[in-house]
Amino acid sequence: MVSSAFEADALASLDSLYRTALRLTRRPADAEDLVQETYLKAFRAADQFKQGTNLRAWLFTILHNTARNRARDRAREHVDVDSEAVERAADGDDGSGVPTAGAETPESILLRDVLTPDLQAALNALPPAFREAVWLRDVEEFSYAEIADMLAIPVGTVMSRISRGRRLLFDRLHHLRPVHV
Amino acid sequence: MSDCRTIDPLITPYVDDDIDADARRHVDEHVRRCPPCHSRVAAERAVRQVVRLKRSEMSRVAASPELRARCLALNVLHAVAASGAASRWRVRMKPFAIAAGLVLVVGGAFVYEATDRSTRLLAAELTADHLKCFGMNALLGTNPDAAVIEQAMASSFGWEVRIPESRDAGLELVGARPCFYAKGKAAHLMYRHHGQPLSVFMLPQFTLPGVSESHPDTLGVLGHEAIVWSHGGRTFVLVAREPEQEMARVAAIVQQGLH
Repeated sequence: MVSSAFEADALASLDSLYRTALRLTRRPADAEDLVQETYLKAFRAADQFKQGTNLRAWLFTILHNTARNRARDRAREHVDVDSEAVERAADGDDGSGVPTAGAETPESILLRDVLTPDLQAALNALPPAFREAVWLRDVEEFSYAEIADMLAIPVGTVMSRISRGRRLLFDRLHHLRPVHV
Repeated sequence: MSDCRTIDPLITPYVDDDIDADARRHVDEHVRRCPPCHSRVAAERAVRQVVRLKRSEMSRVAASPELRARCLALNVLHAVAASGAASRWRVRMKPFAIAAGLVLVVGGAFVYEATDRSTRLLAAELTADHLKCFGMNALLGTNPDAAVIEQAMASSFGWEVRIPESRDAGLELVGARPCFYAKGKAAHLMYRHHGQPLSVFMLPQFTLPGVSESHPDTLGVLGHEAIVWSHGGRTFVLVAREPEQEMARVAAIVQQGLH
């Protein structure tokens, strides 16, 4: 049995693991199964966890590996997406002025009053790979390197997916709103 | 001025402010003069801002207490499973595969909050847990070796117990796993008995008033029969889809073995 300290630290990530599992599976029962399998594997492999590294990121890596294996086992739709098609869909932005962090831009004003359910729906409608990258970065706040480990992809691909995901989200949220600014 | 292809991989780290000062100046200069890249930065930044703004609202979904308890219990399950051999489980199961089964689930360490939960609710919740655990047993497998389980009960829960087995009575140990209830963890012993699954939960440090070994409560819950009794500071719940008379017979065997 792993130590109570490890157990407590691991269980502290339960809610965020469950939310991420829900995004991956879209079904609460499947998400619960995925989370349980993640913890079982984590407890079994606890001696492989390097002290001083990020336990939460390690758990997320197990979660994603498990989800990938399950998807593979069930011969379901592969998580990879047609990146070129999505890239085309994300193209076509234009604008003016110099954007600065924290400053209001026409783009930020457009999204200022977005409702959470609309944002959730737009996020859920993203291709899985982009949805996951945006979620892990902007909601769970993992670093590019941590996300790369979790998803087993290069850091450059992580950044590319975040970028494409954000631009797709912008297009979808932008079109939800009447243009009055 | 840099071309857009050079700037492209720097845009997202620029938006995330995860970029060194030189690269930032490089992007600043380019974006100031390149409307498409400017637009891309503005769109990414706007989305990043709104997602982060709504993050707490989107994070309201939480894992259920039951899922939390099950995940906690997996730590104990791992310990039990790691200490035994799955192959022995399969070997032992073979002669009894035709007889189908009885599952005896014994609660281990348990932190039961003595609220106003009724005996019926207790029995119903544990019956539901029995069904879940029975399903999980097929998925995860457990260790059926009585000595290993006894050791796990002692080390994990401080419970010194002799796990009952009675082949003459059709009671065959097939596995063990932790169970979960309220805020505590419990361990399971799994048996097979004349084709009918059966569970016994043991809740340590919890006594129900008015129910004892000689005067147990017998209830019908979720299509199962449940027998509930307290003994020695613990409460036991026997659950099975068997006739009441047969349940009483099995309860007597279990009581003789566990107490």
